[in-house]
Amino acid sequence: MKRAAWPLLLAVLGGEAESEAVETIPFHGFVQGASAYRLVQPERCPHTQRLACEEEFVLGEGRVRLELEPRGERWSLTAKGELIWDAVAGEVEGELREGYLDLQFPALDLRVGRQIVTWGVGDLIFINDVYPKDWVAFISGLPLEYLKKGSDAMSATGHWRGTSAQLVLIPRFEADTLPEAGGRLRFHDPMAGIEARRTDEPSPSLDLLETGLRVFRNVAGWDLSLYAYRGFFRAPAAEVEPGPQLRFFFPPLNVYGASAQGAALGGVLSFEAGYYDSRADRSGRNPGVENSSFRFLTGYQREIVADLTASGQYHVQVMQNHDEFLRTRGPGMARRPAVRHVVTLRLTRLLWHQTLRLGVFALASPNEGDWYAGPEARYQVTDALSTTLGMNVFGGPRRSEFGQFEANSNVFAVVRYAF
Amino acid sequence: MALRLLTIAAAGLAPALAALALAIAAPAQPSADEVMAKAHLAMFYPGEDLRARVTMRLISRNGGERVRELTMTRRDLRDGGEQRYFIYFHRPPDVRDMTFLVWKYPGRDDDRWLYVPALKLVRRIAANDKRSSFAGSDFSYEDVSGREPEEDAHKLVREERVGERAAYVIESVPKDPASVDFSRKLSWIDTATWLPLKEEYYDRRGELSRVFTAEELKEVQGFWTVVKRVVKNVQTGHRTEAVLDGVRYDQKLAPDLFGERALRAPPAQLVR
Repeated sequence: MKRAAWPLLLAVLGGEAESEAVETIPFHGFVQGASAYRLVQPERCPHTQRLACEEEFVLGEGRVRLELEPRGERWSLTAKGELIWDAVAGEVEGELREGYLDLQFPALDLRVGRQIVTWGVGDLIFINDVYPKDWVAFISGLPLEYLKKGSDAMSATGHWRGTSAQLVLIPRFEADTLPEAGGRLRFHDPMAGIEARRTDEPSPSLDLLETGLRVFRNVAGWDLSLYAYRGFFRAPAAEVEPGPQLRFFFPPLNVYGASAQGAALGGVLSFEAGYYDSRADRSGRNPGVENSSFRFLTGYQREIVADLTASGQYHVQVMQNHDEFLRTRGPGMARRPAVRHVVTLRLTRLLWHQTLRLGVFALASPNEGDWYAGPEARYQVTDALSTTLGMNVFGGPRRSEFGQFEANSNVFAVVRYAF
Repeated sequence: MALRLLTIAAAGLAPALAALALAIAAPAQPSADEVMAKAHLAMFYPGEDLRARVTMRLISRNGGERVRELTMTRRDLRDGGEQRYFIYFHRPPDVRDMTFLVWKYPGRDDDRWLYVPALKLVRRIAANDKRSSFAGSDFSYEDVSGREPEEDAHKLVREERVGERAAYVIESVPKDPASVDFSRKLSWIDTATWLPLKEEYYDRRGELSRVFTAEELKEVQGFWTVVKRVVKNVQTGHRTEAVLDGVRYDQKLAPDLFGERALRAPPAQLVR
């Protein structure tokens, strides 16, 4: 663990205690190499996805992460930046993953800046976690932490007699990172023939400020939360404009939900529900915009024997105005059922004093037939060096949520040296 | 009515008198249950609260070493009863900044939460505290936060010296053998501090499996504390050394340190 002394910066930021000025600022990070090789090479790709047919590697990269976290008694600054070398595309880019200031008051915590917000109790099933995600990173075999993206936001959490309320304001919209035309990933594109495309992002303005509210409390060992969100779908909707040109946009969305999690039946029980109010398409008649829906999740996790944990989830999504969806559905679009059922299973085995972790996560929709399986082995060679070997396998009908990624199925390896 | 009360009082007095007579005849020979109850309090409940920096060295048979460093705080809601633990991990790097919260209830499963900073995720943990390893060490959760004395039947076997210290040797047999990995346990309890100086666990076949030793005792604010505790798995040769630094009792730790707020944003003084 290396430590760099930055007393000057700390003195400037702190200005509070001289004793702190001589302290060192924790300085951490890692160097990581990651690669993922396609299990099946797609034979035919539309012109917009020709890279998927050309590249055998969905991932091949190295990155360096630096983390600085100066801290005072009632404040702290967190900066996590990365330099990424994409060996497949031959590009280098820098990214600020997180960069925020924390201020702590007796009954209020403020966080300002680029931050990751995680809500809900699902395991890779997100109902009330409406915050931006990088699905390309997930499909490509990067570590799970890269699924979550930062939001440039202000978060205020107040605490009063055991009840807390968090208000999140996001002035700058951040979309999910999804497979798109020109990328390396194969996906179902109902408009593959139209190459001219543009994306309208909700522009920064007060009208378009995203707002999230979470009220939470522990009652008799159960974690209870209520959620509300007013903002936008993070996956784009599409419409064809004259030209023809495909226009992507992010329709307005409200989400209302609740969750509960607690110890029961010798394990941990979870419940979550949410209502997605698709504000621009309440009638369901616009085929390009996602209909409103109800979503439910129940999960159970238990340690079966020492160091072997199993968990399962059942998720159901009920589309509103399904008949309108069927009536207006365009050619090439998946014929989705009114109710989508999903079950998941996770097994985690810890061995050799928890230095070797064997795990598998599997997800399947019994009624739509698409599925995902992700077996993984992670070995901590030393306290600093870890290696991970795993697979991401997708299957099912080619227009379904996970089936469309079948040709991206891969075997991946990640090596990380942390300091 | 008055007469009846008197009779009851007399009846109640008789065993007490008998006990007193015994006590005078054979001084300071407590029962095995009393010894274990006192040992439980001395080891896991001293002070109203505790704060310590813990360094665990996990050492394999061939000398390979891994280090876990954490700040542990504990607050008792009642002596011998409900407790709350809050743990901040300093290293290794892959767990740095993780926090861990335990609400421990006597007689039923604990509530446990782990905060994963990379995902900003608070996760509930469903781990069996009797068998699961704490952070990969040779300690189970139960070894860290204490096993309730009522879960075993105790017998005073003999008195014996451990180094300079006089100790009661207690044999404990689990009342529910299926719930644990050991068939019996021998504890050497210091007659002066009531701290366990040595413990031997025997597996289900009756063979010695793990040996705990208190390598260093120190008096902190009037409370005798095991500041170095070693557990060795004699069957695998793996051992874990836990060293406590900066032990402080009765810091008047705020109750809200033991909730989701602290999990997500641990107080500065615990992080350094």
